[in-house]
Amino acid sequence: MAVPISQMWTVATYVLKKRMSGEKRYPLVLMLEPLFRCNLACAGCGKVQYPPHILKKQLTPEECFAAAEECGVPMVAIPGGEPLLHPQIVEIVNGLVARKKYVYMCTNALELKKRLHEFTPSKYLTFSVHLDGQRDHHDFSVCREGGYDIAIEGIKAAVKAGFRVTPNSTFFDGTDPNSVRAHFDEMMAIGVEGIVLSPGYSYDKAPDQTHFMGRARVRRLFRAILSNRKKSWKFNMSPLFLEFLMGDRNYDCTPWGSPAYNIFGWQKPCYLLQDGYVDTFKELMETTKWEEYGVASGNAKCANCMVSCGYEPTAVIDGFGSMSGFWSMVKGTFSMYKDKHALKLLNESAPHGAAKLVQIAKPEHALEETNA
Amino acid sequence: MSAEVLKYTREQIEEMEVAPGFAHENLEGWIPELASDEDVRQALEKAFDYRGDVSLTLKNGDVIEAYIFNRFTGNSLAESWVQYFTPKALDKRKVSYVEIARVEFTGKDRAAGKHWEDWVAKYNEKKAAGEKNIALVPDKLD
Repeated sequence: MAVPISQMWTVATYVLKKRMSGEKRYPLVLMLEPLFRCNLACAGCGKVQYPPHILKKQLTPEECFAAAEECGVPMVAIPGGEPLLHPQIVEIVNGLVARKKYVYMCTNALELKKRLHEFTPSKYLTFSVHLDGQRDHHDFSVCREGGYDIAIEGIKAAVKAGFRVTPNSTFFDGTDPNSVRAHFDEMMAIGVEGIVLSPGYSYDKAPDQTHFMGRARVRRLFRAILSNRKKSWKFNMSPLFLEFLMGDRNYDCTPWGSPAYNIFGWQKPCYLLQDGYVDTFKELMETTKWEEYGVASGNAKCANCMVSCGYEPTAVIDGFGSMSGFWSMVKGTFSMYKDKHALKLLNESAPHGAAKLVQIAKPEHALEETNA
Repeated sequence: MSAEVLKYTREQIEEMEVAPGFAHENLEGWIPELASDEDVRQALEKAFDYRGDVSLTLKNGDVIEAYIFNRFTGNSLAESWVQYFTPKALDKRKVSYVEIARVEFTGKDRAAGKHWEDWVAKYNEKKAAGEKNIALVPDKLD
Protein backbone atom coordinates (compact mmCIF):
# COMPACT_ATOMS: atom_id res chain seq x y z
CA MET A 1 0.00 0.00 0.00
CA ALA A 2 1.34 3.40 -0.97
CA VAL A 3 -0.33 5.38 1.78
CA PRO A 4 2.31 6.98 4.07
CA ILE A 5 2.69 5.59 7.60
CA SER A 6 1.69 8.89 9.21
CA GLN A 7 -1.61 8.92 7.32
CA MET A 8 -2.27 5.26 8.13
CA TRP A 9 -1.53 5.94 11.79
CA THR A 10 -3.90 8.93 11.84
CA VAL A 11 -6.71 6.92 10.26
CA ALA A 12 -6.07 3.83 12.41
CA THR A 13 -6.13 5.79 15.68
CA TYR A 14 -9.23 7.67 14.52
CA VAL A 15 -11.06 4.39 13.81
CA LEU A 16 -9.93 2.86 17.12
CA LYS A 17 -11.06 5.90 19.11
CA LYS A 18 -14.46 5.79 17.44
CA ARG A 19 -14.81 2.09 18.15
CA MET A 20 -13.73 2.50 21.77
CA SER A 21 -16.23 5.31 22.25
CA GLY A 22 -18.96 3.01 20.95
CA GLU A 23 -19.91 5.13 17.93
CA LYS A 24 -21.63 2.93 15.38
CA ARG A 25 -21.65 5.38 12.52
CA TYR A 26 -18.83 7.80 11.83
CA PRO A 27 -17.32 9.39 8.71
CA LEU A 28 -13.81 8.85 7.38
CA VAL A 29 -13.54 11.16 4.38
CA LEU A 30 -15.42 14.39 3.75
CA MET A 31 -16.38 14.75 0.08
CA LEU A 32 -16.18 18.51 -0.16
CA GLU A 33 -17.59 19.89 -3.41
CA PRO A 34 -16.77 23.61 -3.42
CA LEU A 35 -18.42 24.11 -6.83
CA PHE A 36 -20.08 22.14 -9.63
CA ARG A 37 -18.51 24.10 -12.51
CA CYS A 38 -16.20 22.03 -14.72
CA ASN A 39 -14.06 22.51 -17.82
CA LEU A 40 -14.86 19.02 -19.12
CA ALA A 41 -18.18 17.46 -20.17
CA CYS A 42 -17.53 13.78 -19.45
CA ALA A 43 -20.14 11.28 -20.62
CA GLY A 44 -20.12 9.25 -17.39
CA CYS A 45 -20.48 12.20 -15.03
CA GLY A 46 -23.78 13.21 -13.47
CA LYS A 47 -22.37 15.98 -11.29
CA VAL A 48 -22.32 19.04 -13.51
CA GLN A 49 -25.71 19.27 -15.23
CA TYR A 50 -27.09 22.42 -13.60
CA PRO A 51 -28.37 25.84 -14.73
CA PRO A 52 -25.67 28.53 -15.07
CA HIS A 53 -26.63 30.37 -11.86
CA ILE A 54 -26.02 27.16 -9.89
CA LEU A 55 -22.72 26.50 -11.67
CA LYS A 56 -21.58 30.02 -10.71
CA LYS A 57 -22.16 29.39 -7.02
CA GLN A 58 -19.33 28.19 -4.82
CA LEU A 59 -18.57 27.51 -1.19
CA THR A 60 -16.49 30.07 0.69
CA PRO A 61 -13.27 28.92 2.40
CA GLU A 62 -14.98 29.45 5.77
CA GLU A 63 -17.86 27.16 4.79
CA CYS A 64 -15.35 24.51 3.72
CA PHE A 65 -13.43 24.72 7.02
CA ALA A 66 -16.65 24.63 9.04
CA ALA A 67 -17.82 21.48 7.21
CA ALA A 68 -14.49 19.72 7.82
CA GLU A 69 -14.54 20.61 11.52
CA GLU A 70 -18.21 19.81 11.94
CA CYS A 71 -17.84 16.21 10.79
CA GLY A 72 -14.37 15.78 12.32
CA VAL A 73 -12.88 13.56 9.62
CA PRO A 74 -9.14 12.91 9.25
CA MET A 75 -9.32 13.11 5.43
CA VAL A 76 -10.96 15.51 2.98
CA ALA A 77 -11.44 14.83 -0.73
CA ILE A 78 -12.17 17.87 -2.87
CA PRO A 79 -14.02 16.81 -6.01
CA GLY A 80 -16.55 18.91 -7.90
CA GLY A 81 -16.81 20.20 -10.64
CA GLU A 82 -13.20 21.10 -11.22
CA PRO A 83 -11.81 22.51 -7.97
CA LEU A 84 -9.04 24.45 -9.75
CA LEU A 85 -11.77 26.69 -11.24
CA HIS A 86 -12.60 27.92 -7.72
CA PRO A 87 -10.88 31.30 -7.29
CA GLN A 88 -10.06 30.57 -3.61
CA ILE A 89 -9.05 26.94 -3.96
CA VAL A 90 -5.50 27.61 -2.73
CA GLU A 91 -6.87 29.24 0.43
CA ILE A 92 -9.24 26.30 0.92
CA VAL A 93 -6.48 23.71 0.52
CA ASN A 94 -4.04 25.62 2.74
CA GLY A 95 -6.68 26.03 5.43
CA LEU A 96 -7.47 22.33 5.47
CA VAL A 97 -3.78 21.41 5.52
CA ALA A 98 -3.27 23.82 8.44
CA ARG A 99 -5.99 21.86 10.24
CA LYS A 100 -3.94 18.70 9.60
CA LYS A 101 -6.52 17.14 7.32
CA TYR A 102 -5.17 14.77 4.68
CA VAL A 103 -6.45 16.50 1.55
CA TYR A 104 -7.05 14.76 -1.77
CA MET A 105 -7.44 17.55 -4.34
CA CYS A 106 -9.25 15.93 -7.25
CA THR A 107 -8.53 17.52 -10.61
CA ASN A 108 -8.65 16.73 -14.30
CA ALA A 109 -5.27 18.48 -14.39
CA LEU A 110 -6.11 20.67 -17.38
CA GLU A 111 -5.00 23.66 -15.26
CA LEU A 112 -2.64 21.86 -12.90
CA LYS A 113 0.72 22.62 -14.48
CA LYS A 114 0.16 26.36 -14.62
CA ARG A 115 -1.39 26.55 -11.13
CA LEU A 116 1.10 24.26 -9.39
CA HIS A 117 3.35 27.06 -8.13
CA GLU A 118 0.47 28.38 -5.99
CA PHE A 119 0.47 25.22 -3.85
CA THR A 120 3.03 23.99 -1.31
CA PRO A 121 4.09 20.34 -1.13
CA SER A 122 3.00 18.68 2.11
CA LYS A 123 2.40 15.20 3.43
CA TYR A 124 -1.17 16.39 3.94
CA LEU A 125 -1.75 17.31 0.29
CA THR A 126 -2.26 14.90 -2.61
CA PHE A 127 -3.27 15.76 -6.15
CA SER A 128 -5.73 13.07 -7.20
CA VAL A 129 -5.71 13.34 -10.98
CA HIS A 130 -8.65 12.06 -13.01
CA LEU A 131 -7.14 9.69 -15.58
CA ASP A 132 -9.37 6.96 -16.99
CA GLY A 133 -6.65 4.77 -18.49
CA GLN A 134 -4.30 5.08 -21.46
CA ARG A 135 -4.37 8.04 -23.85
CA ASP A 136 -7.19 7.00 -26.21
CA HIS A 137 -9.28 5.52 -23.44
CA HIS A 138 -9.01 8.61 -21.27
CA ASP A 139 -9.63 11.07 -24.08
CA PHE A 140 -12.71 9.20 -25.19
CA SER A 141 -13.98 8.85 -21.65
CA VAL A 142 -13.68 12.57 -20.91
CA CYS A 143 -14.86 13.50 -24.42
CA ARG A 144 -11.78 15.56 -25.17
CA GLU A 145 -8.88 14.68 -27.42
CA GLY A 146 -5.59 15.85 -26.00
CA GLY A 147 -6.87 15.74 -22.41
CA TYR A 148 -4.58 12.87 -21.50
CA ASP A 149 -1.40 14.62 -22.65
CA ILE A 150 -2.24 17.74 -20.66
CA ALA A 151 -3.02 15.67 -17.57
CA ILE A 152 0.24 13.74 -17.88
CA GLU A 153 2.19 17.01 -18.14
CA GLY A 154 0.48 18.15 -14.95
CA ILE A 155 1.23 14.87 -13.16
CA LYS A 156 4.89 14.94 -14.16
CA ALA A 157 5.26 18.56 -13.06
CA ALA A 158 3.60 17.82 -9.72
CA VAL A 159 5.76 14.74 -9.08
CA LYS A 160 8.89 16.71 -9.98
CA ALA A 161 7.89 19.51 -7.60
CA GLY A 162 7.60 17.00 -4.73
CA PHE A 163 3.84 16.72 -4.43
CA ARG A 164 2.02 13.52 -3.60
CA VAL A 165 0.17 12.45 -6.76
CA THR A 166 -2.35 9.65 -7.30
CA PRO A 167 -3.98 9.04 -10.68
CA ASN A 168 -7.66 8.33 -10.12
CA SER A 169 -9.39 6.08 -12.66
CA THR A 170 -13.04 5.21 -13.15
CA PHE A 171 -13.80 2.21 -15.35
CA PHE A 172 -16.97 1.56 -17.30
CA ASP A 173 -18.26 -1.36 -19.38
CA GLY A 174 -16.02 -2.26 -22.31
CA THR A 175 -12.78 -1.52 -20.45
CA ASP A 176 -9.84 -3.60 -21.67
CA PRO A 177 -8.08 -5.08 -18.60
CA ASN A 178 -4.78 -5.42 -20.47
CA SER A 179 -4.84 -1.74 -21.30
CA VAL A 180 -5.57 -0.89 -17.66
CA ARG A 181 -2.55 -2.94 -16.56
CA ALA A 182 -0.41 -1.12 -19.12
CA HIS A 183 -1.78 2.14 -17.71
CA PHE A 184 -0.62 1.08 -14.23
CA ASP A 185 2.89 0.45 -15.63
CA GLU A 186 2.93 3.89 -17.23
CA MET A 187 1.78 5.61 -14.06
CA MET A 188 4.30 3.89 -11.82
CA ALA A 189 7.08 4.74 -14.30
CA ILE A 190 6.18 8.41 -13.95
CA GLY A 191 6.68 8.12 -10.21
CA VAL A 192 3.21 8.59 -8.77
CA GLU A 193 2.68 7.59 -5.14
CA GLY A 194 -0.05 5.06 -5.90
CA ILE A 195 -3.07 4.36 -8.04
CA VAL A 196 -6.71 4.98 -7.12
CA LEU A 197 -9.48 3.22 -9.01
CA SER A 198 -13.18 2.53 -8.92
CA PRO A 199 -15.95 1.16 -11.12
CA GLY A 200 -18.27 3.87 -12.44
CA TYR A 201 -21.57 4.71 -10.81
CA SER A 202 -24.79 4.81 -12.84
CA TYR A 203 -25.66 8.46 -12.28
CA ASP A 204 -29.21 8.95 -13.48
CA LYS A 205 -28.21 12.34 -14.91
CA ALA A 206 -25.15 11.06 -16.81
CA PRO A 207 -25.39 11.34 -20.61
CA ASP A 208 -24.24 7.74 -21.07
CA GLN A 209 -26.81 5.33 -19.59
CA THR A 210 -25.61 2.18 -21.33
CA HIS A 211 -22.11 1.47 -20.08
CA PHE A 212 -22.50 0.93 -16.35
CA MET A 213 -21.34 -2.51 -15.28
CA GLY A 214 -23.40 -4.75 -13.05
CA ARG A 215 -21.71 -6.33 -10.04
CA ALA A 216 -20.91 -9.66 -11.71
CA ARG A 217 -19.12 -7.90 -14.55
CA VAL A 218 -17.30 -5.55 -12.16
CA ARG A 219 -15.87 -8.49 -10.23
CA ARG A 220 -14.67 -10.24 -13.40
CA LEU A 221 -13.07 -7.10 -14.76
CA PHE A 222 -11.24 -6.25 -11.54
CA ARG A 223 -10.21 -9.86 -10.98
CA ALA A 224 -8.56 -9.80 -14.40
CA ILE A 225 -6.94 -6.42 -13.72
CA LEU A 226 -5.81 -6.89 -10.13
CA SER A 227 -4.73 -10.53 -10.00
CA ASN A 228 -1.11 -11.43 -10.85
CA ARG A 229 0.07 -7.97 -9.89
CA LYS A 230 3.44 -6.55 -10.71
CA LYS A 231 5.74 -5.65 -7.83
CA SER A 232 6.05 -2.12 -9.14
CA TRP A 233 2.34 -1.39 -8.75
CA LYS A 234 1.24 0.56 -5.70
CA PHE A 235 -2.32 1.42 -4.76
CA ASN A 236 -3.38 4.33 -2.63
CA MET A 237 -6.37 2.36 -1.40
CA SER A 238 -7.25 -0.25 1.17
CA PRO A 239 -6.13 -3.71 -0.06
CA LEU A 240 -9.39 -5.04 1.34
CA PHE A 241 -11.40 -2.74 -0.93
CA LEU A 242 -9.44 -4.10 -3.91
CA GLU A 243 -10.25 -7.64 -2.73
CA PHE A 244 -13.91 -6.61 -2.60
CA LEU A 245 -13.73 -5.44 -6.23
CA MET A 246 -12.09 -8.77 -7.18
CA GLY A 247 -14.91 -10.70 -5.54
CA ASP A 248 -12.91 -12.03 -2.59
CA ARG A 249 -14.96 -10.15 0.00
CA ASN A 250 -18.61 -9.31 0.50
CA TYR A 251 -19.12 -5.88 1.98
CA ASP A 252 -22.11 -3.70 2.63
CA CYS A 253 -22.05 -0.01 1.83
CA THR A 254 -21.07 2.55 4.47
CA PRO A 255 -22.77 5.62 2.97
CA TRP A 256 -22.02 7.80 6.00
CA GLY A 257 -18.31 6.96 5.61
CA SER A 258 -17.86 9.60 2.90
CA PRO A 259 -20.42 12.34 3.58
CA ALA A 260 -20.79 15.02 0.91
CA TYR A 261 -21.08 18.75 1.50
CA ASN A 262 -21.72 21.29 -1.25
CA ILE A 263 -23.56 24.54 -2.02
CA PHE A 264 -26.89 22.85 -1.25
CA GLY A 265 -25.82 21.56 2.18
CA TRP A 266 -25.12 18.06 3.52
CA GLN A 267 -26.28 15.60 0.88
CA LYS A 268 -28.57 12.70 1.80
CA PRO A 269 -27.67 9.85 1.77
CA CYS A 270 -24.24 9.85 0.11
CA TYR A 271 -21.88 11.43 -2.38
CA LEU A 272 -23.57 9.74 -5.36
CA LEU A 273 -27.28 9.87 -4.60
CA GLN A 274 -29.21 13.11 -4.13
CA ASP A 275 -32.22 12.43 -1.97
CA GLY A 276 -32.29 15.79 -0.28
CA TYR A 277 -30.14 18.08 1.85
CA VAL A 278 -29.83 19.14 5.46
CA ASP A 279 -28.04 22.04 7.07
CA THR A 280 -25.93 20.21 9.65
CA PHE A 281 -23.84 17.04 9.77
CA LYS A 282 -25.67 15.99 12.93
CA GLU A 283 -28.98 16.23 11.09
CA LEU A 284 -27.54 14.16 8.24
CA MET A 285 -26.50 11.38 10.60
CA GLU A 286 -29.68 11.45 12.66
CA THR A 287 -32.41 11.96 10.04
CA THR A 288 -31.21 9.93 7.06
CA LYS A 289 -33.07 6.63 6.73
CA TRP A 290 -29.89 4.64 6.21
CA GLU A 291 -31.76 1.34 6.00
CA GLU A 292 -33.27 2.49 2.68
CA TYR A 293 -29.87 2.61 0.96
CA GLY A 294 -27.01 0.29 0.11
CA VAL A 295 -26.97 -3.09 -1.53
CA ALA A 296 -28.69 -4.78 1.41
CA SER A 297 -31.71 -2.51 1.01
CA GLY A 298 -32.49 -3.69 -2.52
CA ASN A 299 -32.76 -0.03 -3.60
CA ALA A 300 -32.47 -0.01 -7.42
CA LYS A 301 -30.32 3.13 -7.28
CA CYS A 302 -27.75 1.25 -5.19
CA ALA A 303 -27.94 -1.99 -7.19
CA ASN A 304 -24.77 -1.72 -9.26
CA CYS A 305 -22.77 0.46 -6.90
CA MET A 306 -19.37 -0.86 -5.83
CA VAL A 307 -17.87 2.62 -5.77
CA SER A 308 -15.03 3.51 -3.45
CA CYS A 309 -16.89 6.28 -1.59
CA GLY A 310 -19.35 3.74 -0.19
CA TYR A 311 -17.27 0.59 0.10
CA GLU A 312 -13.77 1.76 0.88
CA PRO A 313 -14.89 3.10 4.28
CA THR A 314 -16.26 -0.40 4.98
CA ALA A 315 -12.90 -1.89 4.02
CA VAL A 316 -10.91 0.63 6.07
CA ILE A 317 -13.06 0.08 9.16
CA ASP A 318 -12.73 -3.67 8.65
CA GLY A 319 -8.95 -3.37 8.29
CA PHE A 320 -8.32 -1.16 11.30
CA GLY A 321 -11.18 -2.47 13.42
CA SER A 322 -9.80 -5.89 14.37
CA MET A 323 -6.57 -7.86 14.49
CA SER A 324 -7.81 -10.26 11.81
CA GLY A 325 -8.78 -7.35 9.58
CA PHE A 326 -5.39 -5.72 10.14
CA TRP A 327 -3.58 -8.96 9.34
CA SER A 328 -5.62 -9.34 6.12
CA MET A 329 -4.61 -5.82 5.20
CA VAL A 330 -0.92 -6.56 5.78
CA LYS A 331 -1.15 -9.76 3.73
CA GLY A 332 -3.00 -7.93 0.96
CA THR A 333 -0.37 -5.21 0.85
CA PHE A 334 2.37 -7.68 -0.01
CA SER A 335 0.42 -10.27 -2.04
CA MET A 336 0.71 -10.47 -5.82
CA TYR A 337 -2.64 -12.32 -5.92
CA LYS A 338 -1.32 -15.10 -8.15
CA ASP A 339 -4.27 -16.60 -9.96
CA LYS A 340 -3.86 -18.84 -13.02
CA HIS A 341 -7.53 -18.65 -13.88
CA ALA A 342 -7.48 -14.87 -13.83
CA LEU A 343 -4.36 -14.91 -16.01
CA LYS A 344 -6.15 -17.10 -18.50
CA LEU A 345 -9.09 -14.73 -18.50
CA LEU A 346 -6.74 -11.83 -19.03
CA ASN A 347 -5.07 -13.52 -21.96
CA GLU A 348 -8.43 -14.41 -23.47
CA SER A 349 -9.83 -10.91 -23.21
CA ALA A 350 -9.58 -9.67 -26.76
CA PRO A 351 -7.89 -6.36 -27.38
CA HIS A 352 -10.36 -3.92 -28.87
CA GLY A 353 -9.93 -3.46 -32.58
CA ALA A 354 -11.05 0.13 -32.67
CA ALA A 355 -8.82 1.38 -29.92
CA LYS A 356 -9.99 4.96 -30.23
CA LEU A 357 -13.55 3.86 -29.56
CA VAL A 358 -12.63 1.47 -26.81
CA GLN A 359 -15.14 2.88 -24.36
CA ILE A 360 -18.07 2.04 -26.61
CA ALA A 361 -16.87 -1.24 -28.05
CA LYS A 362 -18.32 -4.38 -26.53
CA PRO A 363 -15.75 -6.99 -25.43
CA GLU A 364 -15.54 -9.76 -27.99
CA HIS A 365 -15.09 -12.35 -25.26
CA ALA A 366 -16.85 -11.84 -21.99
CA LEU A 367 -14.58 -12.65 -19.09
CA GLU A 368 -15.81 -15.58 -17.07
CA GLU A 369 -17.11 -15.25 -13.56
CA THR A 370 -14.52 -16.43 -11.10
CA ASN A 371 -15.04 -17.03 -7.45
CA ALA A 372 -17.20 -14.03 -6.67
CA MET B 1 -35.17 -5.90 -15.49
CA SER B 2 -35.41 -2.12 -15.58
CA ALA B 3 -34.44 0.62 -13.19
CA GLU B 4 -38.14 1.22 -12.65
CA VAL B 5 -38.09 -1.83 -10.37
CA LEU B 6 -37.86 -0.39 -6.88
CA LYS B 7 -36.35 -3.34 -5.03
CA TYR B 8 -33.90 -6.07 -5.96
CA THR B 9 -32.96 -9.15 -4.02
CA ARG B 10 -29.32 -9.50 -3.00
CA GLU B 11 -29.02 -12.44 -5.38
CA GLN B 12 -30.33 -10.41 -8.32
CA ILE B 13 -27.91 -7.63 -7.51
CA GLU B 14 -24.88 -9.90 -7.25
CA GLU B 15 -25.68 -11.59 -10.58
CA MET B 16 -26.30 -8.39 -12.50
CA GLU B 17 -24.17 -8.10 -15.66
CA VAL B 18 -25.18 -4.65 -16.82
CA ALA B 19 -26.75 -2.06 -14.59
CA PRO B 20 -29.96 -0.76 -16.09
CA GLY B 21 -29.76 2.89 -17.04
CA PHE B 22 -32.38 5.41 -16.11
CA ALA B 23 -34.97 6.58 -18.63
CA HIS B 24 -34.79 10.35 -18.94
CA GLU B 25 -38.18 11.99 -18.57
CA ASN B 26 -38.77 14.89 -20.94
CA LEU B 27 -40.18 17.53 -18.61
CA GLU B 28 -39.01 20.74 -20.24
CA GLY B 29 -42.06 22.95 -20.93
CA TRP B 30 -44.38 20.75 -18.89
CA ILE B 31 -47.16 22.39 -16.86
CA PRO B 32 -48.67 19.76 -14.58
CA GLU B 33 -52.29 19.92 -13.54
CA LEU B 34 -52.50 20.47 -9.79
CA ALA B 35 -56.02 19.29 -9.06
CA SER B 36 -55.28 17.33 -5.90
CA ASP B 37 -52.77 17.24 -3.06
CA GLU B 38 -51.21 14.17 -4.68
CA ASP B 39 -50.79 16.10 -7.95
CA VAL B 40 -48.93 18.82 -6.06
CA ARG B 41 -46.69 16.30 -4.34
CA GLN B 42 -45.86 14.48 -7.56
CA ALA B 43 -45.19 17.66 -9.54
CA LEU B 44 -42.84 19.01 -6.86
CA GLU B 45 -41.05 15.66 -6.56
CA LYS B 46 -40.34 15.86 -10.29
CA ALA B 47 -39.32 19.51 -9.92
CA PHE B 48 -36.82 18.44 -7.22
CA ASP B 49 -35.33 15.89 -9.61
CA TYR B 50 -35.32 18.30 -12.60
CA ARG B 51 -31.94 19.73 -13.62
CA GLY B 52 -33.35 23.07 -14.81
CA ASP B 53 -35.15 26.06 -13.37
CA VAL B 54 -38.89 25.97 -12.75
CA SER B 55 -41.46 28.75 -12.32
CA LEU B 56 -43.59 28.57 -9.21
CA THR B 57 -46.72 30.73 -9.14
CA LEU B 58 -47.87 31.24 -5.59
CA LYS B 59 -51.47 31.59 -4.49
CA ASN B 60 -50.80 35.26 -3.67
CA GLY B 61 -49.82 35.85 -7.31
CA ASP B 62 -46.05 36.04 -6.83
CA VAL B 63 -43.94 34.16 -9.38
CA ILE B 64 -40.61 32.58 -8.39
CA GLU B 65 -38.08 31.47 -11.02
CA ALA B 66 -35.88 29.00 -9.18
CA TYR B 67 -33.74 25.89 -9.14
CA ILE B 68 -35.30 23.48 -6.65
CA PHE B 69 -32.61 21.42 -4.94
CA ASN B 70 -34.39 20.06 -1.89
CA ARG B 71 -37.79 19.04 -0.67
CA PHE B 72 -39.39 17.81 2.51
CA THR B 73 -42.64 15.89 2.38
CA GLY B 74 -44.66 15.95 5.58
CA ASN B 75 -48.10 14.56 6.36
CA SER B 76 -49.90 17.54 4.82
CA LEU B 77 -49.10 20.12 2.15
CA ALA B 78 -48.72 22.70 4.91
CA GLU B 79 -45.97 20.59 6.47
CA SER B 80 -44.18 20.06 3.15
CA TRP B 81 -41.79 22.45 1.44
CA VAL B 82 -39.31 22.90 -1.36
CA GLN B 83 -35.98 24.67 -0.98
CA TYR B 84 -34.50 26.62 -3.86
CA PHE B 85 -31.97 29.07 -5.24
CA THR B 86 -33.05 31.89 -7.54
CA PRO B 87 -30.65 33.31 -10.14
CA LYS B 88 -30.40 36.64 -8.27
CA ALA B 89 -30.64 35.87 -4.56
CA LEU B 90 -27.57 34.53 -2.74
CA ASP B 91 -29.42 32.69 0.01
CA LYS B 92 -31.37 29.43 0.06
CA ARG B 93 -35.13 29.93 0.34
CA LYS B 94 -38.12 27.76 1.21
CA VAL B 95 -41.76 27.77 0.22
CA SER B 96 -44.52 25.54 1.53
CA TYR B 97 -46.37 23.22 -0.85
CA VAL B 98 -49.64 24.72 0.33
CA GLU B 99 -48.68 28.16 -1.03
CA ILE B 100 -48.00 26.90 -4.56
CA ALA B 101 -50.73 27.30 -7.20
CA ARG B 102 -48.85 26.46 -10.41
CA VAL B 103 -45.60 24.77 -11.45
CA GLU B 104 -44.01 25.25 -14.89
CA PHE B 105 -40.86 23.52 -16.05
CA THR B 106 -39.67 26.64 -17.84
CA GLY B 107 -35.88 26.34 -17.66
CA LYS B 108 -33.71 24.32 -20.02
CA ASP B 109 -33.20 20.73 -18.84
CA ARG B 110 -29.43 20.63 -18.42
CA ALA B 111 -29.37 16.82 -18.23
CA ALA B 112 -31.16 16.34 -21.56
CA GLY B 113 -29.83 15.95 -25.08
CA LYS B 114 -26.26 14.97 -24.29
CA HIS B 115 -26.34 11.31 -25.06
CA TRP B 116 -23.23 9.22 -25.42
CA GLU B 117 -24.38 8.20 -28.89
CA ASP B 118 -24.44 11.89 -29.92
CA TRP B 119 -20.82 12.24 -28.78
CA VAL B 120 -19.78 9.12 -30.68
CA ALA B 121 -21.56 10.30 -33.85
CA LYS B 122 -20.01 13.76 -33.57
CA TYR B 123 -16.59 12.26 -32.90
CA ASN B 124 -16.77 9.95 -35.92
CA GLU B 125 -18.03 12.72 -38.18
CA LYS B 126 -15.27 15.12 -37.17
CA LYS B 127 -12.62 12.42 -37.29
CA ALA B 128 -13.67 11.50 -40.83
CA ALA B 129 -13.39 15.19 -41.77
CA GLY B 130 -9.80 15.19 -40.50
CA GLU B 131 -10.44 17.46 -37.51
CA LYS B 132 -8.03 17.49 -34.56
CA ASN B 133 -8.63 18.09 -30.86
CA ILE B 134 -12.23 16.95 -31.01
CA ALA B 135 -14.06 17.61 -27.76
CA LEU B 136 -17.34 18.21 -26.02
CA VAL B 137 -17.32 21.48 -24.14
CA PRO B 138 -19.40 22.45 -21.12
CA ASP B 139 -22.38 24.76 -21.68
CA LYS B 140 -21.62 28.47 -21.47
CA LEU B 141 -22.55 30.11 -18.19
CA ASP B 142 -24.17 33.21 -19.70
